Amino acid sequence: MAEMTLIDAVTTALAWELEHDPRVVVLGEDVGVNGGVFRATAGLQARFGADRVQDTPLAEGMIAGVAIGMAAQGMIPIPEIQFMGFIYPTVDQMINHAGRLRNRTRGRMSCPMVLRAPFGGGIHAPEHHSESTEALFAHMPGIRVVIPSSPARAYGLLLAAIRDPDPVVFLEPKRIYRLNKQNVEDNGKALPLDVCYTLRQGSDITLVTWGAMTFETLKAADQLARSNISCEVIDLATISPIDYETILESVEKTGRLVIVHEAARTCGVGAEIAAIVAEKGLYDLNAPIRRVTGYDVVMPLFRREMDYMPSVSKIVDAVRETLQD
Amino acid sequence: MITFNLPDLGEGLPEAEIVSWHVSEGDTVKTDDPLLSVETAKAVVEVPSPYSGVIARLHAQAGDIVATGAALVDFAEAGSVARQPKGSPEPEATMPEKEDAATVVGNVPTGGGLLQETAIAGGGRRRKGGRVKATPSVRTEARRLGVDLADVPATGKNGQVTSGDLARYQNTVAKPRPAHTSPTPGRSEALRGPRRAMAQSMTQHRNEVALCTIFDDADIHEWIMKRDFTARILRATAAGCSRAPALNGFFNAQSMSHQQESRVDIALAVDTDDGLIVPVIRHVEEMTLDQIRDEVARMKKATLDRTVAPQDMVNYTITVSNFGMLAGRYATPLMVPPTVAILGTGKLQHDVVAVMGGIEVHRRIPLSLSFDHRCITGGEACRFLAAVIDDLEKPQ
Repeated sequence: MAEMTLIDAVTTALAWELEHDPRVVVLGEDVGVNGGVFRATAGLQARFGADRVQDTPLAEGMIAGVAIGMAAQGMIPIPEIQFMGFIYPTVDQMINHAGRLRNRTRGRMSCPMVLRAPFGGGIHAPEHHSESTEALFAHMPGIRVVIPSSPARAYGLLLAAIRDPDPVVFLEPKRIYRLNKQNVEDNGKALPLDVCYTLRQGSDITLVTWGAMTFETLKAADQLARSNISCEVIDLATISPIDYETILESVEKTGRLVIVHEAARTCGVGAEIAAIVAEKGLYDLNAPIRRVTGYDVVMPLFRREMDYMPSVSKIVDAVRETLQD
Repeated sequence: MITFNLPDLGEGLPEAEIVSWHVSEGDTVKTDDPLLSVETAKAVVEVPSPYSGVIARLHAQAGDIVATGAALVDFAEAGSVARQPKGSPEPEATMPEKEDAATVVGNVPTGGGLLQETAIAGGGRRRKGGRVKATPSVRTEARRLGVDLADVPATGKNGQVTSGDLARYQNTVAKPRPAHTSPTPGRSEALRGPRRAMAQSMTQHRNEVALCTIFDDADIHEWIMKRDFTARILRATAAGCSRAPALNGFFNAQSMSHQQESRVDIALAVDTDDGLIVPVIRHVEEMTLDQIRDEVARMKKATLDRTVAPQDMVNYTITVSNFGMLAGRYATPLMVPPTVAILGTGKLQHDVVAVMGGIEVHRRIPLSLSFDHRCITGGEACRFLAAVIDDLEKPQ
């Protein structure tokens, strides 16, 4: 058992798989000598060699394409994209090839790769470095989207993503990369994919969130608990496919739902969750579903980025409004 | 004194060129105020102040190339070492000072706290039962009515309480509505005069009478005077009363006593704009047809003029209602207690009737006889109606 931050957990999980599975290859811009833009791969090239941890040219489309080719031929590539804003050149490869390989070959080939990228705002970064566009990949069939929100889940879910035979986009909430440490045992044990994680049980209202927003949401729940409002907090964890059974079960209990995400509101993953609950959980609802999200604007530069992001007070307000309906 | 070193601004680049300073020595700056602009291999980047405080010294000039990590600014009286982004969602988080703890772009906050959490992996199946199921609209309506949905039997496909379930529950339980509920907004008018009397007598009727109605037709093909309906019907009613006197009288529900009358005082329901007015033609049993006709004409005029005396509208023994002037063949007319019978006549029709040797078209009066079954038997009512028909079918 070791205390580690979320980014330590990513490094530790990568190291475990590099050590235990010779098919695993890490590749990306500056992942080798430099150790990665956020140091997620620090020390891995020195430990496992340049064949296993490869620096690539600055060409994201190529990185994804090479990874798909490796995956199709029996390797398990783990490409890193430095920021969400640089992930768009990979979209063609991911949608047209990674997500389709199993279907195209009628099951003869799969695409066991994990495309890692940090996402989200709150670190005072320049343009292209702060967005949350997980919905782009969640919309695409054949691609799993996973977002951890704690060191333990970063470790366990990354191991599960690497061992999954199909492509996973693994988005890391960079604002909480180093926020807190957690005791995580480096034992190679994966956590289940495709399920939500209930972080707090409650009876008055269900809060669904993911990534760095779990921290604001848990703080809001703490604050509301002082007013005797009992919040159930669910970390979505796997963004696609969504474990709606857990959400519906919770809404059945509480009758109220607030969804919190950093991404822009329109066509965000929150809209899909709201739609599912409206379709399958309408008879359990006591109040309209509310969303606390980013705005439908380009992510602002750092001076305004905290105004853009959902805050504890915005979440608390939404919960109180929902309880009054 | 705190020294701020040039952070790694450009993905591991070793140095940056200072484009311009936005502050001078001696200035007071706040966290996030722009300190200077530097040009890296990528772009011109504005460097924000990591601290609040007073600038003591600038270590380089515009145009200088500064190595990453070299001293840039000295702060005197720095407010707080901990750099907190404005409105930070994570106030206890601090921006790192150790260079390798951060990204080369932006600043990743560090907390140092130890996370304790219990995460329950989902994937459970939904329970059956649990809370009451209902649509939000039904829940809203239930709240308005003050009904606990748990008390309402649910018939919905998914076990949900439907709006129909709620309405049924309201009707059967008939709970008094909470004071704050009122009829839908709009203009309402208190009933006055004949309409008010109708509301009262009909309520009394519904609460007391055991109503039974018999329907039949009188064939008036043989009539010599073709348009003498009202007088003929009144005479026929008197004939009915003669054959079955039980229908001509009163029933006292309290004493359970039945009072037959020898006089035949017939209340004739007349439709006016103010409502139903019922003048009384007295002693019809003693009148000739001509007398009846004259009396009806006089009373109808008085009624339409609203000059009919109050005493001419009370103390009748049986009622006739010619409701079928416009439409309607049969009805279940309601008598006003304590009387026990009412004869309704519907719209005259030309009917195809079977006669000996073939079919013919005859005029017929549809008849509806309602009686109070508490004191009148079906046999008495049928005899009454047969006498009415016999009399009506006479040529004159």
